[in-house]
Amino acid sequence: MKKIRLLLVDDENDFLNAYVRRLVRRNVDVSVACSGRDAIEAIKAADFDVVVLDVMMPGMNGLETLRQIKDFSPALPVIILTGHAKSEALIEGMDCGAFDYLLKPIGTDDLYYKMLDAIRSRTLY
Amino acid sequence: MRSIFEIISRVVLHPSTAKDDESIQFLARCENFRLLLAANNKALKIMAEMSEEARSNDLFGMSHVRSQSLKVSANVRQMIERLCRMSPGKYDTLKDVFNVIVMDMEKALESSTGQCCGSLILSMDQISADSISETGSKMAMLGEIRSKLGIRVPEGFSITASAFLSFMENSGLDDEINRLIQIADSNDLNDLLVLEENIKHAIDLAAMPTELEDAIEKYCADLLAGVPDLRLAIRSSALGEDSGEASFAGQFISVLGVLPENIIDSYRAVVASMYSATAMTYLLNKGLREDELIMCVGCLEMIEAVAGGVIYTSDPIGKNKNALIISGVPGHPSSIVDGSALADTWVMDRTDRTLRDVFIADKEWQCLSSENGEIYRVKMCENRRSAPSIPYSAITELVEIALRIEKHFNCPQDIEWVKSSDGQIYILQCRPLSVTDSQRNVEQIPKKDEHESHVILRNCIPASHGFACGEVVMVETDDDMFNFPDGAVLLTYNAKPRLAVILPRAAALISEHGSATGHLANVAREFGIPAFIGVKGAVKNLSEARVVTVNTATGKIYKGCFEDQNPIREKKPVLPQNNPVTTALRNTLPFIVPLSLTVPDSSEFRPSNCTSLHDITRYCHEKAVAEMFRKNAMSAANAKRLKGERLLQYWLIDLGGGTSSSVDDKYVSLSDISSNTMKSLWIGMTKIPWDGPPPVQASGLISVISEAACNPALAPGMSNDLGDRNYFIVSRNYCNLQSRFGFHFCTVEGYAGDDPDENYAFFQFTGGGADKSRRMIRSWLIAGILEKQGFIVDVKEDSLFARIEGVAAEVVEQALAVAGYLLVHTRQIDMVMSDSNAYRNYQVKFEQGIEAVLSSYSSQNSEHGRSL
Repeated sequence: MKKIRLLLVDDENDFLNAYVRRLVRRNVDVSVACSGRDAIEAIKAADFDVVVLDVMMPGMNGLETLRQIKDFSPALPVIILTGHAKSEALIEGMDCGAFDYLLKPIGTDDLYYKMLDAIRSRTLY
Repeated sequence: MRSIFEIISRVVLHPSTAKDDESIQFLARCENFRLLLAANNKALKIMAEMSEEARSNDLFGMSHVRSQSLKVSANVRQMIERLCRMSPGKYDTLKDVFNVIVMDMEKALESSTGQCCGSLILSMDQISADSISETGSKMAMLGEIRSKLGIRVPEGFSITASAFLSFMENSGLDDEINRLIQIADSNDLNDLLVLEENIKHAIDLAAMPTELEDAIEKYCADLLAGVPDLRLAIRSSALGEDSGEASFAGQFISVLGVLPENIIDSYRAVVASMYSATAMTYLLNKGLREDELIMCVGCLEMIEAVAGGVIYTSDPIGKNKNALIISGVPGHPSSIVDGSALADTWVMDRTDRTLRDVFIADKEWQCLSSENGEIYRVKMCENRRSAPSIPYSAITELVEIALRIEKHFNCPQDIEWVKSSDGQIYILQCRPLSVTDSQRNVEQIPKKDEHESHVILRNCIPASHGFACGEVVMVETDDDMFNFPDGAVLLTYNAKPRLAVILPRAAALISEHGSATGHLANVAREFGIPAFIGVKGAVKNLSEARVVTVNTATGKIYKGCFEDQNPIREKKPVLPQNNPVTTALRNTLPFIVPLSLTVPDSSEFRPSNCTSLHDITRYCHEKAVAEMFRKNAMSAANAKRLKGERLLQYWLIDLGGGTSSSVDDKYVSLSDISSNTMKSLWIGMTKIPWDGPPPVQASGLISVISEAACNPALAPGMSNDLGDRNYFIVSRNYCNLQSRFGFHFCTVEGYAGDDPDENYAFFQFTGGGADKSRRMIRSWLIAGILEKQGFIVDVKEDSLFARIEGVAAEVVEQALAVAGYLLVHTRQIDMVMSDSNAYRNYQVKFEQGIEAVLSSYSSQNSEHGRSL
């Protein structure tokens, strides 16, 4: 099976390190971005199958980043993964076209299968 | 096992025929349907968990409540998204309905901390009891006794609740702290310690509002004018601290000997102490909301103390009547407060203010404050070690002050005092004195042992205190639970949490195994039921004893009943937890759980009538099934109706290889089915014909009628709507059945291929027409049967989730046959689930039925082989 090309966006290094390690073990090709701006640069520079995106980040926040990603690449599925348990953010994220809104902490399995779901839904539309 | 819908997606992804647009559209529809069902299951499961948590005594914080409600919302939103994609444009209004419900729910969850609008700083002369909402109790009480009673307190000021809120909001700390608590998601001590560090770090880094810094500087300058070498004590004065419900005693820190330029650092440290592991554990156990914590901080001039101590205006354990107790040490009194030093003690008579008793300690150490304000310990010189820390004249002065304070607040007080080097008494703190009465229960139990000769078991360790006698009744099975008589002594091997259901009716509980820290022990304490848990030999020694007396004060169990000793047990109603966290959870449930949208064929069944997230899931599920199986769909995707000897109430979609090619494009006959999983399920469903609904006895009928009163669809005359609707989605090795029969909703799913790692069977049902307790009992009955068949079963409220996985194809097939049998035969038995005979009869009947199905199944299987 083709490797999943994931862009993981989060301002927390500990989080990035932990998930990169776990996902690489599952044969996922992980790129990371530490800010919304870096994320936009990254998707302009390379192709990804799926983006996993934090909400609360300094500078451009996750929801604004989501909007810009969707402007640039509407079909690219974006999964929000955050510790921000607020309904406003859920509504806004889903209305902006996020594939799903997940809360940290999340098991690697759950995240991995959610990514598969997101990628599959892209291939079908 | 992979996610339960993983397999179907593989079938969808690699279809041999998916070339043309029609097929791709069909596959997209299947995929959306699959995702919708997955989200539906998750949403229902979390809803059931939340309902259970609202009634339980489990400990959880606000972050858990928020996380659960957000997860339900996210899954429901996912269902809406999938339904909208199955039929673009048709269901968009659901999103608005969802947004309204979810935002209302968010409002119900909001903390009541309010907005910051008051002064950032209040100086001591501006503070009185009325300031409590800005300064916290500690500072408000000091301001009050200073202004109303003229009692001397240190000069200083309060950094107010408004200042705290302004700090939190402007720096974004409020969101950040909630986020840190959310991602820690743990009540484990180690994790809490990591959380403590993370929050402390975030607070240290957060920017302090400039106007707050300026205000602190200004107030300090005023203080400095009087005292050039000013040192400050920075003290926690959190809102709610020292209140009757929650003392927070010792949870938050004070920083002593602080130089004016270091106030901000100490302020951060005091704020951070609110999120320490111990404080968070305390909050959790009290059920207090971590998102409503507000730390007000007192900045008080340090008094150069020659002595200090504590006054209790009443004896907290009630030993000395009408007494006032003063303790004191030389130097700074910090050691007395943290309990690290021996102190002098004077017991005074409150009425004539004379000395009743005195104890002068041998004081080896004293605490002093250094030049730079630090508190340090020094050895006392030999000749002063045994001298009283204060003269008697100071004692009389302290008694006067203490009684005035008590009179003013009209309740016993716990007062901290110091004597300055110039001989003045200062009060540093006063708060209500908490008098515990937890021992009262034990003290009421007769301890005299007049019946030693009747002892059967001794040295039993009590899990819950009390004294009771009654007939011993052994409870092993669910049947025993039904037959358990009121007022009997419950004897059991295992202290299973499930026994909590009958515990309120028991006189006492005795369990061979288990521990006093288990769930059941907790429940016993809540219900006030005396309990011995973990009594070796209990079953052997007691099962023949007929009547026993249980006395937890002596730790013994006696033969016979000594009623004469038995103080009438107060029948205390069980108090549901009404702490702020549980209350917040309960406040969210009305937006989530109630199901009002029940009749799909009625005109009322529309998005605008959805008033809860549960309603939306019902609506989405019903419409998704309809979209999936609707007529006039593309030919490749057409649902076919199942045909036996006559047409059946079953429809089927074949994803590939599930049926042999049929010329008929409207119907598929039973003999055309080649899906191994569907065949197994079908055998289970049909091998033994259903008897129809059980005869309902009067009380069951009343329960149904009363339920129907809240539920229009169950009213007489509506029974035509309670039809069977069953939808299969199948492939060669896969089968998914969505079944609705009246108010019973059921999903059965399975995959049985060559690789055991991928194989699974899944069975879930919910609902019913009877009241909840009957539906719960039915869930247990079915759970017991499924467990015997190797399923892993999870019962939450009246919903049951059972799965079996990682097994050979044959095992999955048999499991599906069992699920099929139960799906059909347990319909409506919730109606009769209060009758223990009926329960037992059904249990026997179902087990025999399953045996018959499985034996016929295996013979059939060997006839046809697995080639089909």
